[in-house]
Amino acid sequence: MRAVDVQGVSFTYDDGTEALAGIDFRVEEGEFVAVLGSNGSGKTTLIQLLVGLLKAKSGRIAIGGREIGSLTAEELYQRVGLVFQNPNDQLFAATVEEDCAFGPRNLNLPEAEVQRRVTESLAAVAALPLRERAIHHLSFGEQKRVSLAGVLAMRPAVLILDEPTAGLDPAGEAQMMQLLKKLNREERMTVILATHSVDMLPLFANRIYVLDRGRVLQQGPSEEIFCHQEMIVRAKLRLPYVSRLMYEMKRHDGVPIDGLPLTIGEARAQLLELIPKEMILPGIEEIGP
Amino acid sequence: MIDDRVKTRTTVTPSKAGARNGLHGGSIPRLPRTAGIAAARNLRNLEIGSRKRALEIFRVEKCPARGGITISKGLAAAAFLCALPSPAFAMHISEGILPISWAVLWYAVALPFVAWGLRDLRRRSEETPWFKPLVGLVGAAVFLISCMPIPVPSAGTCSHPSGTGIAAILIGPGLTTVVASIALTLQALFLAHGGITTLGANIVSMGVAGAWVGWGVFTAARRLGLPWFAAAFLAGMFSDWATYATTSLELAAALHGDGSFTTMFSLILLAFVPTQLPLGILEGFLCAGVLKFIRNRRPELLRTVPAGGAA
Amino acid sequence: MFDLFSDIFTYRDNALTRIDPRVKLLIALAALIAVVTSARPVLPLAVFVLCLGTIAALRIPAKLVALRLAAPFSTVAILVVIQTFVTGTTPLFSLTLGGWTLTAKAEGLRQGLLLGARVLGALSIVLLLGIATPAHRIFQALRGFRISKEWVEIAILMYRYIFVLMDRAGDLAAAQRLRLGYTAPRRALASFTALAGATVVHSFEQAGRTHDAMRLRGYRGTMPFGPLPALGRRDRGLLALLLTVIAAAYGFFAWGITG
Repeated sequence: MRAVDVQGVSFTYDDGTEALAGIDFRVEEGEFVAVLGSNGSGKTTLIQLLVGLLKAKSGRIAIGGREIGSLTAEELYQRVGLVFQNPNDQLFAATVEEDCAFGPRNLNLPEAEVQRRVTESLAAVAALPLRERAIHHLSFGEQKRVSLAGVLAMRPAVLILDEPTAGLDPAGEAQMMQLLKKLNREERMTVILATHSVDMLPLFANRIYVLDRGRVLQQGPSEEIFCHQEMIVRAKLRLPYVSRLMYEMKRHDGVPIDGLPLTIGEARAQLLELIPKEMILPGIEEIGP
Repeated sequence: MIDDRVKTRTTVTPSKAGARNGLHGGSIPRLPRTAGIAAARNLRNLEIGSRKRALEIFRVEKCPARGGITISKGLAAAAFLCALPSPAFAMHISEGILPISWAVLWYAVALPFVAWGLRDLRRRSEETPWFKPLVGLVGAAVFLISCMPIPVPSAGTCSHPSGTGIAAILIGPGLTTVVASIALTLQALFLAHGGITTLGANIVSMGVAGAWVGWGVFTAARRLGLPWFAAAFLAGMFSDWATYATTSLELAAALHGDGSFTTMFSLILLAFVPTQLPLGILEGFLCAGVLKFIRNRRPELLRTVPAGGAA
Repeated sequence: MFDLFSDIFTYRDNALTRIDPRVKLLIALAALIAVVTSARPVLPLAVFVLCLGTIAALRIPAKLVALRLAAPFSTVAILVVIQTFVTGTTPLFSLTLGGWTLTAKAEGLRQGLLLGARVLGALSIVLLLGIATPAHRIFQALRGFRISKEWVEIAILMYRYIFVLMDRAGDLAAAQRLRLGYTAPRRALASFTALAGATVVHSFEQAGRTHDAMRLRGYRGTMPFGPLPALGRRDRGLLALLLTVIAAAYGFFAWGITG
């Protein structure tokens, strides 16, 4: 069964801005899909349509096989959860625990179950020690993780995140992506993330949708997407830096590189092939992939 | 199931890197002393001679010994008070000042107004689902504005606007009472500003008198055909003055002892004149300026507020 | 002002923060009533010393305490002086101020000093309460006292977003200052109203986004609250003990009842 099925959806804001022009968007259960697009490409609109904050003017949206309009709010919000880009939009309670308990309490769950969900969701984002803390005393990275925990406590089948790594430092960015990967691989949670940062994606996403001015330019696994250098540039995006380096070496210096490596690991493997053996000192130091 | 409230498109700005944790983040907008003088200059046309009076008071304060001139009792008292630090804080009645009987009485006066405001909240949030967050957020904004220091030239100190005028225009007087009661509770507990026993009295002066006078003046001025700018100015000014007059009344009623109530009342009233008179006028400009800002930048926001406010 | 609005100490773990907030509120209320109705200054002053001592023992920076107390102190000083000169009958001394003779009276002074003592005592109680109890625990206690849920809900939202808006307003004010927004008086007033206006506009936008986020987690117009924990035996014992102590001290010090 498809987790998310969007067919021919268009959306125009009241001020006349056409945000989406007949897009198709499909996500299978258990997939990790990235919606890649520049500012103003329509990815936030798409996300808001998926969670019912906006209503499509035309087209069809189904979540878990059911038309979005036929779901009650309670059903919908246990199927999809949205983590906002700015944690301040989401964290309104005074303490971490109260904020995480908000969703389960709205579902009228017994208090023991509420507490269990709070504990589990905080543990899932490595934020259990923050439980009693005041929200306004948390760092930005902590706020981001707690806002993710608040959505996880709803136990949504599909987790949607708007720019989950925006504003995080490199360590925070890596931690956030690892958390999402774990949720996807271990908890079998379907993850959709909207972003314009490309460097991390090849490591995590099964599939990428490239959006530009309300249209899907291309979709497919990251190897396919990043082969199309011109399309990427047209969407006001760029290749991951390591791919860019390899691309330039291939194009300008004629270095014989197969395809286009997307991660540091792939690039390293290719370069090791090309560099004369005598220049390589094996086992001097381990460098991560 | 999902309400299809008209969405306004907001620009998505990338979050700033590493937000600070609120606590030490905000710094006070330190206005130079002269800021108020400009306002004093502006208000020359409105309040003829008020600036001159203000300066007189100032001079007397600096050299009280220079006799000879006949000055009224009020000015002498005012001058005397100006020598003490920050009389402007007298806007809120401090913890422990009111005898228990008066404290209870003012609680009893405040309670129906708060209850009415809560009923208003229930009614309007049934019509508009996002109304409670809106009231909370506008409340937070007004709380913050009321914490921003304004220099008062005549008193030589910084004072704070009350913000009730603009709140009453935006969300209505009943909810301004609710929001003021919360703000006063927070200030009492975490800033030792106002108090628990005096909470009722402070709600009455700020949240009831200030809010209803501000709202009433704005509505009346609009009915009389005044432009919204002038109406907002008057609303801000009179809500501030109403607050301080009520505070003075509450203090005088509780403290006159065996002395005369009228003497006590006029003395306290006059003691606050050097700060509150210009502050009220500044508050008028602030109220009008804020409304102007919203109307210029985001006029559609005012239309999203369910009926009940005055704007 | 903003630095003052710090609640970092309330999140410390100590004997006082561990007490149930309902117990703390009830004790504070009883103590306040005792102080405010006290006919002699002994009890209020004793309470003042006790509370300040506790605050010192909790190692709260003296500067913060002094800052929080400074403003109410000056107000009280004014009122004591006004009372001395306005009320009472027995003249103490006179002074001439700009051609106007003021007479200080003994009853007025006594009354003023009692008032001052009450304010000191009452203020120190609230100060201690505010230093030992985080805001959300106070809201919880108020819920326990059957304060309207709507009021508590608005209070929670207000408290949280004061910090968010404060951050943004702080940035905005800094940006204005960096672009010389406060250099000329007229410009300063314009900058100030723009700052206030932008804060209000932010609050509207934030309210919309916050409501969206709340709705996605099942909000239907009323904030759900968890159950309040039952009062433990220790808390109940403490409540009974302290109420008795306050009552006894009240009878003894405030009115001179010696049984």
